[in-house]
Amino acid sequence: MRITRLGGSIAVLGMTAVLAACSSGTPGSTDTPTANTGPVALEFWCWGTSQKAKVEAFNKAHPNVQVNHTDVGGDRDTAAKLLTANRAGNAPDAACLEYETLPSMIVAGALADISAHTGDVKDAFSPEVWDLTSFDGAVYGVPQDVGPMVLVYNKKRFQELKIEPPATWQDFAKVAADVRKKDPEAYLTTFAPAEFGNFAGLAQQAGASWWQVQDQTWTVGIADQTSHEVADYWQGLIDKDLVKAQPLLTPEWNNQLNKGKILAWPSALWAPGVLYGVAEKQAGDWAIAPLPQWKEGDDRVAFQGGSALTVTKTSKNAAAAATFAKWMNTDKAAYDLQIEMGEYPASLAGQQAAGDSPPPKLTANQKDYWDVATKAAQRTIPHISWGPNVSTAKSAYEDAVSAALRDRTPLRDALTKTHNLVVEDMKTTGFKVTGP
Amino acid sequence: MTAMPRADRRSRAPYLFVAPAVLLFLAFLAIPICYAIYLSVRGLRLTGGGVFGTREEVFVGLDNYVRTLTDPEFFAGFGRLALYGLISVPLTLGLALLFALLLDHAGTRAKRFSRTAIFIPYAVPGVTASLLWGFMYLPSTSPFSYLTQELGLGEIPFLGPGGIYPSLANIAVWGSVGFNMIIIFTSLRGIPAELYHAARIDGASEWQIAWRIKIPLVAPALVLTGLFALIGTLQVYGEPTTLKPMTTEISQSWVPLMNIYRNAFTRDDLPLASAASVLLAAGTLLISVVLLKVTQKRAFGGMQ
Repeated sequence: MRITRLGGSIAVLGMTAVLAACSSGTPGSTDTPTANTGPVALEFWCWGTSQKAKVEAFNKAHPNVQVNHTDVGGDRDTAAKLLTANRAGNAPDAACLEYETLPSMIVAGALADISAHTGDVKDAFSPEVWDLTSFDGAVYGVPQDVGPMVLVYNKKRFQELKIEPPATWQDFAKVAADVRKKDPEAYLTTFAPAEFGNFAGLAQQAGASWWQVQDQTWTVGIADQTSHEVADYWQGLIDKDLVKAQPLLTPEWNNQLNKGKILAWPSALWAPGVLYGVAEKQAGDWAIAPLPQWKEGDDRVAFQGGSALTVTKTSKNAAAAATFAKWMNTDKAAYDLQIEMGEYPASLAGQQAAGDSPPPKLTANQKDYWDVATKAAQRTIPHISWGPNVSTAKSAYEDAVSAALRDRTPLRDALTKTHNLVVEDMKTTGFKVTGP
Repeated sequence: MTAMPRADRRSRAPYLFVAPAVLLFLAFLAIPICYAIYLSVRGLRLTGGGVFGTREEVFVGLDNYVRTLTDPEFFAGFGRLALYGLISVPLTLGLALLFALLLDHAGTRAKRFSRTAIFIPYAVPGVTASLLWGFMYLPSTSPFSYLTQELGLGEIPFLGPGGIYPSLANIAVWGSVGFNMIIIFTSLRGIPAELYHAARIDGASEWQIAWRIKIPLVAPALVLTGLFALIGTLQVYGEPTTLKPMTTEISQSWVPLMNIYRNAFTRDDLPLASAASVLLAAGTLLISVVLLKVTQKRAFGGMQ
């Protein structure tokens, strides 16, 4: 009896270890068959509503290359699964990744340099956009969609409350106060603890540079003076109950949005598509305006989000995968499908075509939608570089900011905490880091 | 001459019988455990090559263990587990025992229906249950908060600082009472009826029978369910992970397993996660053995 029971507890222990240590079982892609038997088969991971149709169009146009598309989740999930699959040796041939995730994937050795194949498409993109995927002459992906930051707002509710979209962040605070006065249940916007990319974009707009690299030596600026000031700004809004601190796109948030109690979202050009997904009833009620500025008269904005189509290092058909990546992001058929789904293409031709098309469903009644969008896209901040451990930074930021909002401690301390953790992580891994 | 092979065969037979179990144990327990231990002394470090350099796996000794043991957040996770366990384990066991005794009571009506009704939540997958309860907790979708708001009492802070532990424990209790009840109930049905007859002849009331005969005799089942509940508590992951997007109360490292998951997949540090897993597993074993040792004499003493 005794021995049996002890055996039982060992088995239980074993299960604990297995449960804890093993991956939760990412279904791997099947091995890519070699090219001599019929068409080349490519495995492709990407999220987003336009992908299915784009892949179908590609397959129709390329009888010799057949792509199998799987949606394994957004950037975070894709990045995590790609790393695991890369180590297991069964990564897909191509995958979508957000621009900020690229450096960490390069450092993990997961991506292939496709500069040998991209000479003919480089000019199809603006230099700022091309910079997002090229590092020191090496090219790690073809830009797919970009998210220049704009203010997305519920125009119908704005008109009801007789308010105008603010031009500066100072005005933004005044409008936020106005909203609270006119409708005590409503907030101009919310501040979400998990929105690393959003806050990074706002800090970049103010002039912060969170990572810089020169000769493999890094400078990290997550807690620099400018970022601290941006944190203080939001802190003020939250403390005065002008902005609600709340996670984004939760059932709760969506409910408030649908009730017209959340009026605006400083985000990027992909936002109308996202909001349409959760508030279909408000189609036509919304509009976009230029993102408020820190200084009056400025017009620079950062990118938030946006993704590139990358080729993996383990792909046995890198050339075919590169061709696929190029077609998906430069061919008219592909960008037309993107635009239809409310994405803003990365290629110049795609952006041109977007300008000539009707606005997304959520903002269907805004006549100057594409004027505002194009202006934002043309005035994005060049040379934004991301660090080699953005995923760590994202998770550190999320935890620190959540804790700050929960315990009512200063947001600027949360940034400092994030900064220290990021620098420590980089040093542990072996990166040279200068400065604090 | 003919007897030898038979004897041979006989001595081989036990090994053949035990082989499938041993093979499965090796493939799914021993080897993964060894691999986890191996991974826990490795680390991803920067080597040359590439634009920024490349991270490669190298031997780092006990570095990961030191990092885990010096991480206050890892231990804070155990603190939260303790608080959560203090609410959920006694409630689960208490309710399971109560329901089992009620179902076993001769006078109870609609037994079959009640048994199924209490058991059904166990059949609901954990994530589904968490989402279901999550919607009932969120202020703008919660029927409970709706009622209190209509009564002018304001919303119930289910997902607020004080409410999060009871709210999470509630999901676990709701889901696991049925399962534990069945174990205890089965054990109750196994008690010979003569004992009750004898007790009744001695003048024992139903209450006394429950307290003096039934509960002591189902003690082994209680220990077993208690152990399951304790291990289940140490492995809490699904419920807080599912509720996490709904509240700022739950961080990515709220409980040890979430911390391990974050390190492995969000921060891409599988070795660090392995070290924490090994520690967690060793701790679970230790607690299980201690719990069994302490309760064994009492619970099983009379039964063997």
